[in-house]
Amino acid sequence: MKNVDQKKIRSLFLSIVGLIIFFGFWEFAVRTGLVSGRSLSAPSDVVQTFIAKLTQSKPDGATVWQHFLTSFQLALSGFTLAVIIGVPLGLFMGYFKGMDLFMTPIFEIVRPIPPIAWIPIVILVLGIDMRAKMFIIFVSAFVPCVINSYLGIKLTSKTLINVARTFGASNWQIFTKVCIPSSLNMVFAGVRTSLGASWSTLVAAEMLASTRGLGYMIQMGRQLIRPDIIIVGMLTIGCTGAFLAYLLGLLEKKVAPWRYK
Amino acid sequence: MAVWENKIELRDVSKTFYTKQSDVEVLKDDSLNVRENEFLVLLGPGQCGKTVLLNIIAGLEQESGGSITFTGGRPKMGDLGIVFQKYALYPWKTVMSNVEMGPQMKGIDQSTRRKNAQKYIDLVGLTNFEKSYPQQLSGGMKQRVGIARAYATESDIMLMDEPFGALDAQTRYSMQEEILKIWEKRKRTVIFVTNNLEEAVYLGDRIILLGGKPTSVKKEYVPDIPRPRKYTDTAFLALRNEIADNTDLSL
Amino acid sequence: MMKAGVQNKLYYLLPVLSVLTLMIVWVILAAQDGSLIPTPYETLSRFLGIMANPISQATLPLHVWVSLRRVLLAFVAAILLGVSLGVMFGWNETFNSFIYPIFELLRPIPPIAWIPLVILWFGIGEFPKIFIVFIGSFMPIVLNTHSGITSIDPLLIKAGQALGANRTQLLFHVALPATIPAILAGIKTALSSGWMCVIAAEMIVAKQGVGFLIVRGQESGDTALIVTCMLVIGIVNAMISFTLTRLEGVLCPWQFGKTK
Repeated sequence: MKNVDQKKIRSLFLSIVGLIIFFGFWEFAVRTGLVSGRSLSAPSDVVQTFIAKLTQSKPDGATVWQHFLTSFQLALSGFTLAVIIGVPLGLFMGYFKGMDLFMTPIFEIVRPIPPIAWIPIVILVLGIDMRAKMFIIFVSAFVPCVINSYLGIKLTSKTLINVARTFGASNWQIFTKVCIPSSLNMVFAGVRTSLGASWSTLVAAEMLASTRGLGYMIQMGRQLIRPDIIIVGMLTIGCTGAFLAYLLGLLEKKVAPWRYK
Repeated sequence: MAVWENKIELRDVSKTFYTKQSDVEVLKDDSLNVRENEFLVLLGPGQCGKTVLLNIIAGLEQESGGSITFTGGRPKMGDLGIVFQKYALYPWKTVMSNVEMGPQMKGIDQSTRRKNAQKYIDLVGLTNFEKSYPQQLSGGMKQRVGIARAYATESDIMLMDEPFGALDAQTRYSMQEEILKIWEKRKRTVIFVTNNLEEAVYLGDRIILLGGKPTSVKKEYVPDIPRPRKYTDTAFLALRNEIADNTDLSL
Repeated sequence: MMKAGVQNKLYYLLPVLSVLTLMIVWVILAAQDGSLIPTPYETLSRFLGIMANPISQATLPLHVWVSLRRVLLAFVAAILLGVSLGVMFGWNETFNSFIYPIFELLRPIPPIAWIPLVILWFGIGEFPKIFIVFIGSFMPIVLNTHSGITSIDPLLIKAGQALGANRTQLLFHVALPATIPAILAGIKTALSSGWMCVIAAEMIVAKQGVGFLIVRGQESGDTALIVTCMLVIGIVNAMISFTLTRLEGVLCPWQFGKTK
């Protein structure tokens, strides 16, 4: 018992020291002019700017919080829509051959095109309002959901299906009571990928065509040569992404606890 | 009867595992002797720590208490031949590469270790399979590679951890014959772990029955039956039943 | 229940039907009054057009090559550094405790979000684009390599130790070969991700490349060009995946039960 705890404490200690050195060096580099203040802002400046931007709209037109909300709402709605449509679609495609044969070709054509590549045409056709961005996020989140749900069903153990057959289960019952629970692991993997994709596509979309949002904020930061704003934006984006992934992990533990022991 | 020299002596060996939930004492006061060039069988039900005991002898794990002495000093890593139940063959290496790996780790030059490896590949009857990969072989063949690999370390002591546990019954029987043939040709000290009663009686010079929670040595049996033994022999069955009756005690 | 013969015929029909449906929907959308969406025919002729007539001193194949080259350059660096880092994270506990938190801090930031900062640092030349692709491909490689090293069957390590291998020998003879499938999986992800990053970087600031081309189309309302680019990007992406899967089969024959 002592050995295990000792290791953990040592690990933790090293990690903290590592972080301190990292931030310390960063601060030092900017303060002493090793790195120009135009290219990089010291951590202390970043923190200051973050606190300031919580209430100030200058210089890019909105507070951090407003930017965040805009981005968050957009990402979440596109994501949710993609999951609601994508997961069942994938599940059905995995189980019903007719559906598979019909949808797969369409899918295989759309899939290799990265969501970002959709941005120009969507902007031209739908403008730069909410609908356009939601569509792009939907496209990027949609694909992993479908693929992973599909694979999840396909990978259901044939033995499990046969056991259900011996109990006289109907096709539909096998689908809902055997295949779907068995594929939850992959479904969640797909949803997780989806979340990451939505979030990063959102940032891209906002960088290219927006007047609000975290992506827009970091673009402005560059134009105004304010690396502190850029970094505040980057870290906010990063933390939100990590936090959402964490929440998803919690949900997964609730819904499919048998996967974790 | 010849005078047996003790090769390994275990005295009051115990092992406790410390986990977050609790401390699990797996072995307690295990004492036994292993004699030179004998085929010793450690018999016990599943999950009873036989593997842990073997690992401690091998030096892969540290005992929590007690002592283990080897005449001639404890062999270093690489000077013990170990055969694993799940083969533990390297899938990206050919049969030859797998078998010669022990000497390779010691830095022995290629031609010497090739010759050495070939010797043992022939010994286990896998000539012409030198360039095959493990997944092209059957279970029995895979285990023969494992045995050749252990033998190729040229160690005096061979440890075998339920080596035939993953094989089907038919292959198991033939492998039991095989392992004795190989051992007769090149005598080493063998410690063979199994949970299979018949296998133990078939193979062992001596059988040590392990059991209880925590595991300790329960009894020792010496099958006074000449080899090759037959499963249906009266003496065989008598011993088998005697051990079977005693095994109830160890559950 | 349909007869087997009829059912089979239906199964062959469905994929054809689906592609047909896609085309029909496309044409309908394009044929709407005032629609900006180009018809398939318009797209095809635009494709042929850009194959022959250069925009910004380059025809389509050249633009594709410019983009690919950026990806490949970044990629080589990403593999070398990424695999090394992933191996060190997985193999050396001290290094892991020390450096991994910093990596974890930077990881959730999407590569695209790095673009403004990188442009601020390095301007608008070739290097910033290559750097962005590097960031985008580096992460998956590190993660997959790390995951591969930490999930090696402990029995294989034990067997190696029993055969007398020291720590270094274990790394080179056991750990690294065992991790190759995971590294390749990481490379697959990284290449796709890298391709997306280069397009994104080019869309924001470039004078050549497929990303630049698609933005050009947007700026001049040349939707046929946009759609052409989209399809080209998709095709290249698919080809990359395909090539890598083939490569995987060659490098790890034992993984796929290939017999001699």
